[in-house]
Amino acid sequence: MTDPRVERLGELVVNYSLELSEGQVLRIDGLEIGAPLALATYRAALGVGAHPYTNLSLDGLLELMLETGSEEQLAYISPVQALEIESIDALVTIWSEANTRSLTRVDPGKHSRYIAAHRTLSNRRWERIASGEMRWCGTLHPTLAHAQDADMSLEDYEAFVFAACHSDKENPAAHWSEVAESLGARAEELGSVRELRIVGPDTDLLLGVEGRTWLAADGKYNMPDGEVFTSPRETETAGEIRYSFPAIFQGREVEDIRLRFEGGRVVSAEAARGEEYLRSLLDMDDGARVLGEVAFGLNYEIDRFTRNILFDEKIGGTMHLALGAAFAQAGGENSSGLHWDMICDLREEGEVYADGELVWKAGEFLSEPVVHA
Amino acid sequence: MSADSRIERLASVLVDYSTDVQPGQLVLIESSPLAAPLVLAVARRVMDAGAHPQTRIAVDGLTETLLAHGTDAQLEWVNPARVEDYERADVRMVFEAEFNTRSLSSIDPERLALAGRARERLRDRYLERAAAGELRWVITLFPTYSAAQDAEMSLAQYEEFVYGAGRLDEKDPVGEWRRFGEDLTRLAEWLDTKSEVRVISNGTDLTVGVEGRTWIPCDGKENFPDGEVFTGPVETSLEGEIHFSFPASFQGRMVEDVRLRFKGGEVVEAHAARGQDFLDAMLAMDDGARRAGEFAFGMNEAIQEFTRSTLFDEKIGGTMHLALGKAYPESGGQNQSALHWDLVCDLRSGSEVFVDGELVYRDGRFLPGTY
Repeated sequence: MTDPRVERLGELVVNYSLELSEGQVLRIDGLEIGAPLALATYRAALGVGAHPYTNLSLDGLLELMLETGSEEQLAYISPVQALEIESIDALVTIWSEANTRSLTRVDPGKHSRYIAAHRTLSNRRWERIASGEMRWCGTLHPTLAHAQDADMSLEDYEAFVFAACHSDKENPAAHWSEVAESLGARAEELGSVRELRIVGPDTDLLLGVEGRTWLAADGKYNMPDGEVFTSPRETETAGEIRYSFPAIFQGREVEDIRLRFEGGRVVSAEAARGEEYLRSLLDMDDGARVLGEVAFGLNYEIDRFTRNILFDEKIGGTMHLALGAAFAQAGGENSSGLHWDMICDLREEGEVYADGELVWKAGEFLSEPVVHA
Repeated sequence: MSADSRIERLASVLVDYSTDVQPGQLVLIESSPLAAPLVLAVARRVMDAGAHPQTRIAVDGLTETLLAHGTDAQLEWVNPARVEDYERADVRMVFEAEFNTRSLSSIDPERLALAGRARERLRDRYLERAAAGELRWVITLFPTYSAAQDAEMSLAQYEEFVYGAGRLDEKDPVGEWRRFGEDLTRLAEWLDTKSEVRVISNGTDLTVGVEGRTWIPCDGKENFPDGEVFTGPVETSLEGEIHFSFPASFQGRMVEDVRLRFKGGEVVEAHAARGQDFLDAMLAMDDGARRAGEFAFGMNEAIQEFTRSTLFDEKIGGTMHLALGKAYPESGGQNQSALHWDLVCDLRSGSEVFVDGELVYRDGRFLPGTY
């Protein structure tokens, strides 16, 4: 029995997010546990005359690589992967996991080296996405593991996921088209800002955004979506920030992170839990200490922290700042194997100033963006 | 560490013996997720050997979706990534582990044939690289409910059957396979000197020309389990008729009681008690589909029962099989086709085989002292 919410999510991703067309090649990535959504996506792609195929892994294979791999094996990129990243027209990543903590105990240094070695692939992917040669969308099929992380039953979590995507209703694409219009206006408005100042508990951070392009995350690259973001100027971030939510990377949780920036770089980093892991990621490569993204979370249907960045970074009323790889299409230049989103809850006492003017308070912009026809 | 030590032993036989994985090699592992314990055990072994495992995991229902809903262009599309797989891999392993062996039963055979023809060059390329010694491949089966059900066994009984056929309950499975391989090699070398095989059984009197062809002993390197000797018969030589006593399963279809008449190497009459349409569609796939690409004797005495799985059925000790379609280049066979369909004939009672006019085989066994 297929779940119509899963079928609609597959159709939404293919038709709205990727705008997939006849003859295009779509690869569907993920773990086998996401197979129901992989199949729904495959079916939708066949429906538009495209050539979909799946590229699913099994739980345990990455763990095996990270546990037993030699340096040569960790760094190995198959010629097939290299060809694929050059030739596919579209990619869907289904981030579903069978156990979100299966990598908690692997050697963090090895994990960082594995990611760093695969940068040629991820960089090429971002390049092709930025130049419009290739489309990409990341999404999720609800599993028991993610429900458990969210402190929910699977049934409740499914309802949460599909509501956030609007695939629990007929014609979710119409909803996302409206979101796109409103976020587009907000991004355009932010485009004229030179400097942002974020003020909150133990937080007072200055970011240079002059000349950078703000982008509306309107369900094209992520589903669900709902944020506006840019890549800040690489050498201007200064001050400090404390992240109220735990920051999770590759299944590991780091709690109560405090970062201090000078001249764009992290100069001190502390965490109540997971500090060693935090430091190993900061030392992954030269770009790992520089912000690659600053964003406002604006999906107010996501109203709670569920330990999953796909949802958490869009929680209406939050901001997030990612360390590592920047977005070329935003004008960002920072390059890194890392892209680690950390979320700051601004719903209680946060304030944001744009070129000295208060524009955001307690999780809301103070004015509606002007929609230009 | 998997709970079933037979899986560990199977992984070690596949990696160390069947494909002899070397450091730095690219090893493709194609499987359904049902064989996850074997995929992980093999991947670990491949890592230990210093090579690079790359998995290709199938999704249940995907092939069915493509065949049922795809356009002709989608059915005929060959993924460039799979072309690259077969061009670059040093080792290819395939684990059969079906969710439902009959999931393609309602697909129009013409569409199966269309998809099969489109993938012909993919298969030909890896067989060509295998024949040239550039790629090693092995196909095995991981016991699942669907295969156990086809075999009319419980899963536990079927596991016993599968691992027993692979000698994985023995102390030294590789040693067993080496010894068995030596016997098969002697038989193959003897057959290499012969020109004609005539099989007589219930409803069968078939003459097959094999002069100048190479007989291949199958000792667990390309199929696991294994146990046969085969060759590619002379394409125009088959004369007479054959009755396949076992149902012939192919792509999830069962065709029962197949009778073929050959003239000048070509099938000129084909009957089936059940599945006639499917049989006709397969024979019409292309020119080569009406000719035999393989002729073989099943020699694995640890496989006695028919289980509706070709991998096992064609090795039953005391049977012969004939494949319609593509010949394996290393046997000297030249027949080209998108089809390669093994049909198995039980010779264990009331059967005789003559080689160059001499009686050498009766009721499922070569006569003592033959080779």
